[in-house]
Amino acid sequence: MLGFLARRILIAIPTVILISVFVFTLQKLLPGDPVLAMAGEERDPEVLAFLREKYRLNDPLYMQYFHWIGGVLQGDLGISLRTRQPVLTLIGEKLPVTIQLAVMALIIAVFIGVPTGILSAYRKGTWIDWLANIVALSGLSIPNFWLGIMLILLVSVNLGWLPASGYAPLSEDPLRSIQTMIMPAFVLGTGLAATLMRHTRSAMLGVLKSDYVRTARAKGLNERVVILKHALRNALVPIVTVATLLFGELLAGAVLTEQIFTIPGFGKLVVDAVFNRDYAVVQGIVLCTAVAFIAMNILADAAYRILNPRMRDT
Amino acid sequence: MPEDAPLLQITDLSIRFGAAATNLVDGVSLSLDRGETLCIVGESGCGKSLTALALMGLLPTPPARLMSGTAMFEGRDLLSLSLQELQNVRGDRMAMIFQEPMTSLNPALKVGEQIAEAVRRHKGVSRDAARNRALDMLQKVRIPAPEKRLDEYPHQMSGGMRQRAMIAMAMANDPALLIADEPTTALDVTVQAQVLDLMRQLQDESASAMIMITHDLGVVAEMADKVAVMYAGRIVEAGPVAAVFENPQHPYTIGLMSSMPSLGDRSGKLVTIPGIVPPADAMPEGCRFVSRCPFAQPGCALAPPMREFDRGHAVACWRAPLETGVDAPSPEIAGAA
Repeated sequence: MLGFLARRILIAIPTVILISVFVFTLQKLLPGDPVLAMAGEERDPEVLAFLREKYRLNDPLYMQYFHWIGGVLQGDLGISLRTRQPVLTLIGEKLPVTIQLAVMALIIAVFIGVPTGILSAYRKGTWIDWLANIVALSGLSIPNFWLGIMLILLVSVNLGWLPASGYAPLSEDPLRSIQTMIMPAFVLGTGLAATLMRHTRSAMLGVLKSDYVRTARAKGLNERVVILKHALRNALVPIVTVATLLFGELLAGAVLTEQIFTIPGFGKLVVDAVFNRDYAVVQGIVLCTAVAFIAMNILADAAYRILNPRMRDT
Repeated sequence: MPEDAPLLQITDLSIRFGAAATNLVDGVSLSLDRGETLCIVGESGCGKSLTALALMGLLPTPPARLMSGTAMFEGRDLLSLSLQELQNVRGDRMAMIFQEPMTSLNPALKVGEQIAEAVRRHKGVSRDAARNRALDMLQKVRIPAPEKRLDEYPHQMSGGMRQRAMIAMAMANDPALLIADEPTTALDVTVQAQVLDLMRQLQDESASAMIMITHDLGVVAEMADKVAVMYAGRIVEAGPVAAVFENPQHPYTIGLMSSMPSLGDRSGKLVTIPGIVPPADAMPEGCRFVSRCPFAQPGCALAPPMREFDRGHAVACWRAPLETGVDAPSPEIAGAA
């Protein structure tokens, strides 16, 4: 398994390099001048020229890239053109918040989506299946921002059970941290639960028809063992794949929910950076997200090998 | 339960699928004594596997519907057991081997565990004891290096070895009845003979009765005490294997025998039975073989009952026994019925 992980990480390196080149080039192709954004009201050509010189914006593109990537390799993602803070610090502050949100949302999604999917497949064509599908479709159709606002209205404003917004770091006040995060995590999680449920259902439907499930029944095993031990294990590979993709999406795509619940996460950082043409920050964010995605995929591949012995020989 | 009662007595088993108008298994009756081997022969789709799955309670219902029938096994009617009672019987008193060794074992679980879990489920023994039993069984089915194989996954084994593992699993609790659904069809010819040998030997040791489902008359000759020939959902001929082979009475059985290739005289073509099995929605009301039968007569529009004409040898054909040629009922009688 260790050898496998090492091999996968080695293979991932060219991918990361390619992504870094892509990110860097794409940035330069975007319209808008970061120096103008940085200078604000100031339009003095000398100041602008000075800024261009300072941030090496006059160098050839490949030089700019090597300068940037050289820093990245030493853990220096550059300085935000807008706030003058190191990009690594900015990301380091926001990323844990979003990861916590994403993990909580994924847990909620798995605990709702997977059992419902199993039940719905097992009771295919019955009212349980129909109900699960209708609920899932509603989950997919309800926009997050609407559900978020309704939840705040109900749970925080009317019932007063949970704080409507705010944030506390997990390391400082775990209880309050979870309290403030549970609603946004629920909002994100229910949407994903619907997707997970649909995939679990179809994976289970395929597996339940298989010969080895029939064999398990022929042995006299009870249905719980047949479903959870013999069927689910074989259905997990596609479920893990979907969960991985969803987690990646959560890292980058929780902007709206973060805004509604005023959570100081990654999403807001991304949006601000893009609108302000804060190149250094955008590059850093995209690179981090890409690396996180690749890491998630390697973990998923490792999970496949645990779940499916046939993959261990390849 | 009286001692002389058969181990398994199936009476008038009929199965239908969904809203179909005809039974895919129609009025099947069979009986099997302890230690006996019954082969059910017939072409694909004739209902032989459905019959076996129905006994095991493994038919998906819906779409399958049990229309009629009982299957008395050790004093209980298998067809009216609750799911839990059924779970207690299958894998213990009654076990099944399937056709496809490649897909019938769980790819995600070790072979030893798959055998041991059947033992734990029914014998309530410890994990170690169950594992030892699994090892015993792997030795019994002559899998080389059984200690190593216990911890292997199905994909690490050949088809023949997987089928041996399936047999080990089915026999692990010494069932009184073993149902084998074309256990050698998916295997290489050389491996087929070994697996059949093994099954016969294990059966002798454990005194299990066996229902072997096959379309291969060679397998029947090798294994069976009794044979039942099925055509389009009905049993058309049944009896001791020697009697049926030497003196086949139903035109379908005769066709089946003569369509078997032999090593001897190879001149001429293989004999085939003309026509095809009627589709389920166009099944004739009377004898289902009528459209392909060289001896068909108007009276065949009435379904022929199974009639015993020699010790244990019964046939469902108006023309049987062929030597004496009982007349079929005249069309008027058939019409009146």
